[in-house]
Amino acid sequence: MNGGAEDRLTRRSMPVAAAMLIWISRTVFGLLATYPLVLAVRATSMTAGPEGDAVLFQPGSLLLLELLRLGAPWFGAAVEFALLMLGLSAVLELIPLSMALDLLATPGRSLLERLARALRLFPKFLVLGVIGLLVQAALLLAASLLGSALKPAFADERLQSIMPLALIGLGLVACAWFGAVLDIARATLVRALAPSGARVALAQAVDCLRHRPLRVLLGSYSSVAGSALALLAAAWLLTRFVAPEPSSAAVALTFAVHQFAMLFAIAWRVRWLGSALELSAESD
Amino acid sequence: MRRVTQDLLLGGVFSALCGWLFKALLLTAGRTSAPELAAKKDEPVWPPLAESAAEVASYTIEAKLDAERHYITAHETIRFVNRSSVALNELWFHLYLNAFKNDKTLFLRSPFGAGRSGDKAKEYGYVDVKKLTIVGADAQDLWANRDRHSPNDPEDETDIRVPLPSPLEPGKTLELALEFEDQLPELVERTGFVGSFHFVGQWFPKLARLEANGTFAHFSFHAQSEFYSDFGNYDVSLDVPSTFRVGATGSRVSETRDKGRTRLAYHAQNVHDFAWTAWDRFETRSERIAGTEVRVLYPPHQEQNAEAELASVRFALPHFNARYGPYPYSTLTLVHPPESAANAGGMEYPQLITTGGPWYGTFGGAHFIDIVTTHELGHQWFYGLLASNEHTEPFLDEGFNSYAEAEALETRYGSASVFGGLGLSVSSTALNRLFSAARGEDEKIAQGAADFATFRSLGALVYSRTATVLSTLARVYGRERFNHALGVYTRKFRFQHPTKADFLNVIQGELDGRAVTALTLALSERATVDYLVREISNAPVSAPAGVFDGPGGREQKKPEAPHEAAEYTSRVVVYRHGTLELPVDIELRFEDGTKQLRHWDGNGFTFNVDNVGPSKLASVYVDPEQRVLLDDDRSNNWLTTKSNSTPRVRERALYAAQVMLGAFGP
Repeated sequence: MNGGAEDRLTRRSMPVAAAMLIWISRTVFGLLATYPLVLAVRATSMTAGPEGDAVLFQPGSLLLLELLRLGAPWFGAAVEFALLMLGLSAVLELIPLSMALDLLATPGRSLLERLARALRLFPKFLVLGVIGLLVQAALLLAASLLGSALKPAFADERLQSIMPLALIGLGLVACAWFGAVLDIARATLVRALAPSGARVALAQAVDCLRHRPLRVLLGSYSSVAGSALALLAAAWLLTRFVAPEPSSAAVALTFAVHQFAMLFAIAWRVRWLGSALELSAESD
Repeated sequence: MRRVTQDLLLGGVFSALCGWLFKALLLTAGRTSAPELAAKKDEPVWPPLAESAAEVASYTIEAKLDAERHYITAHETIRFVNRSSVALNELWFHLYLNAFKNDKTLFLRSPFGAGRSGDKAKEYGYVDVKKLTIVGADAQDLWANRDRHSPNDPEDETDIRVPLPSPLEPGKTLELALEFEDQLPELVERTGFVGSFHFVGQWFPKLARLEANGTFAHFSFHAQSEFYSDFGNYDVSLDVPSTFRVGATGSRVSETRDKGRTRLAYHAQNVHDFAWTAWDRFETRSERIAGTEVRVLYPPHQEQNAEAELASVRFALPHFNARYGPYPYSTLTLVHPPESAANAGGMEYPQLITTGGPWYGTFGGAHFIDIVTTHELGHQWFYGLLASNEHTEPFLDEGFNSYAEAEALETRYGSASVFGGLGLSVSSTALNRLFSAARGEDEKIAQGAADFATFRSLGALVYSRTATVLSTLARVYGRERFNHALGVYTRKFRFQHPTKADFLNVIQGELDGRAVTALTLALSERATVDYLVREISNAPVSAPAGVFDGPGGREQKKPEAPHEAAEYTSRVVVYRHGTLELPVDIELRFEDGTKQLRHWDGNGFTFNVDNVGPSKLASVYVDPEQRVLLDDDRSNNWLTTKSNSTPRVRERALYAAQVMLGAFGP
């Protein structure tokens, strides 16, 4: 294999590596965050019978509801803790995200080097994350307030309930697009040879949106739509084809389908991150 | 530009597919067609069915609605027959609408809001009786001598006594004439107006039910209580603006229009109440189902709900006909109130029921519309045709009907009778059991509606726990056998106002004395049951050792050296807490994969399950078929020597966390 072919192979394998990195981190964080919930379920003794936790998924959900009734005192605390862990995980996921962008931007570095770079960039990623959270919360709040204000103006009860939902939907689309702008800013930070600030990177990303609106909006839109499709298709497949009373084989199949859907969704995210890097480079 | 086109195409295709999947998953989840009822092999033997009720109180009313002021002006004639064994010196009237007259009525004075809805009145309502006279006698106004009878509530005017000028002998008939006017309240609960929508229930001066011993079953209108009345015939004419559509108890016998007003006449036979609704925005659909003309009145844009309600009636009407005796009336009206008048929903009147729910009520796999329609339809038998005292024994209506609703919905939808979608199904039985177990010992079921501490308590015990008690009997004695017993009860006591004792007598005859004991304890004594297992013991079977004095002299046998045993003796002890004695099966599973089923009749507090066999006992499961739904805690019904495994919980929790991180993470 000559050097050029090897280089091409390396470049093609980078998106796969980036996707795997995000999947592994999401799986590890997911396992950690949900561990308190699993412990709470076990504490009820509802899974201590000969059929283990299969009884919770029997048609009719008689024993699933019994679990919720008996476990209510533990579940409140477990859910709170799990949500806290998920919040923390969302913050820590900035590190694998940074490494994934680095993988896509610059092949050839060792994993340790990438980790060191990600840790150096972490404060700037965090600043961008906080800005994103505030802007997205403001967008959703505005959509919600507008919905409440406009609701009485409609005499038709159907419009009264559709309109606020539609506004929230638009708010979510706007949030997704602002997330795309943040991704371009992150890409700018990862690509920067000299240290650059989060504010400068964000300004550059907004500038990119101004000059190439269609590429930014459609690129991120296809990524979000691809991810949503993967999750909905998994739900549809499992609802239609997996037996309601789960055997061990059904559990394995469910796990496989869910994780395949998750990988598919991550693959679309990685594709968009590649586009974000290109857009960032074109904006230099 | 190539990249933009590519993204546009991909995004478009993905979005279209997402839309299709979203519709498949959420909008049409849980929809199934109503299966035909399985043909009966043997026609059950039923008691003879009464064709008509003994006429006690019949009403002729002419009412005119002022839709702007929400005001009704009416003239009423009551034909009352003294079917008791004693002469009557007084009459008792219910003026239910006065419950909404001011904040000091028994109904509205609750600090926690009024009754089931929890809403307080904003615009008050009342009924004013202008005059009460005896037809054919002098024009003496009997209403002038009335007095109120609401203990501790001097402002309450819902329970009124009127002395008679002369005794009414047994078997004699009295004809009374009344003039009255209603100011409808803004809809607090079941009756009143919202905008131009009017629902008019409990709106006319109504005689309390006359018991056989000559007493009147009268009571002040309590927020937790429903009703109790005598059967009779109703002839009611309603004068409303011509732009309004009307639905009412009974059959429409005439319709005339004049100067922007429409006069509609209704006739209802063998009923004990009359309710109606009028709104200028109603849409209507009609269909003949099982020989009954069914009409749905619904708000604009709710065609999907109207269709779901008709589909529920298509299934449930023949189902209830077969279970509880044929519906005897020619018409049935379903009223779906607008969302703004949701408090009018979920209520039953003879030949008229109200449903409810938002326009998207049929989406997402939830069977809310089917549940409310089936439940209210079931009342046509338990409230309408049996007509038990809902004030003193509310469980005989709401509880039995909750069982009937769950039974019908589970026949139609199987285990997904409440919800079916996204790989999850929730049954009515499971939901009833949840509420029942949560509040099972709070109060007794068999008590008056006003005696319950809160409406939540009443809801959990009267609706859910009664249904769970009956479901337990059905599972223990067999569904067909129990349903037959319930069918005997509903047929034998049609038009008879049965009591708890009547039901227990039927159970004694159709099931047995143990069922009567269990029912009595569960309904009247707050009785509970909890089966539990504490430990599993296994020991190898070995030849007996020790000193034995036999005919051949003393013999000494040494214990065997340790070796792989050929047989094991296993023991598990099952305990029964609580005072309900219900039989259960106990499933034993052995390490070699074999299973055994043992039966315990429930007598005593412990039951030793012993076994000698080639394999060790690995696990035990008490009541694996989940027959005893009253079992307080199902988490102690099993024990296993294996570790507690949760692969399914971990898989779903992990996936949910991954999806959340994907959606809300960076």
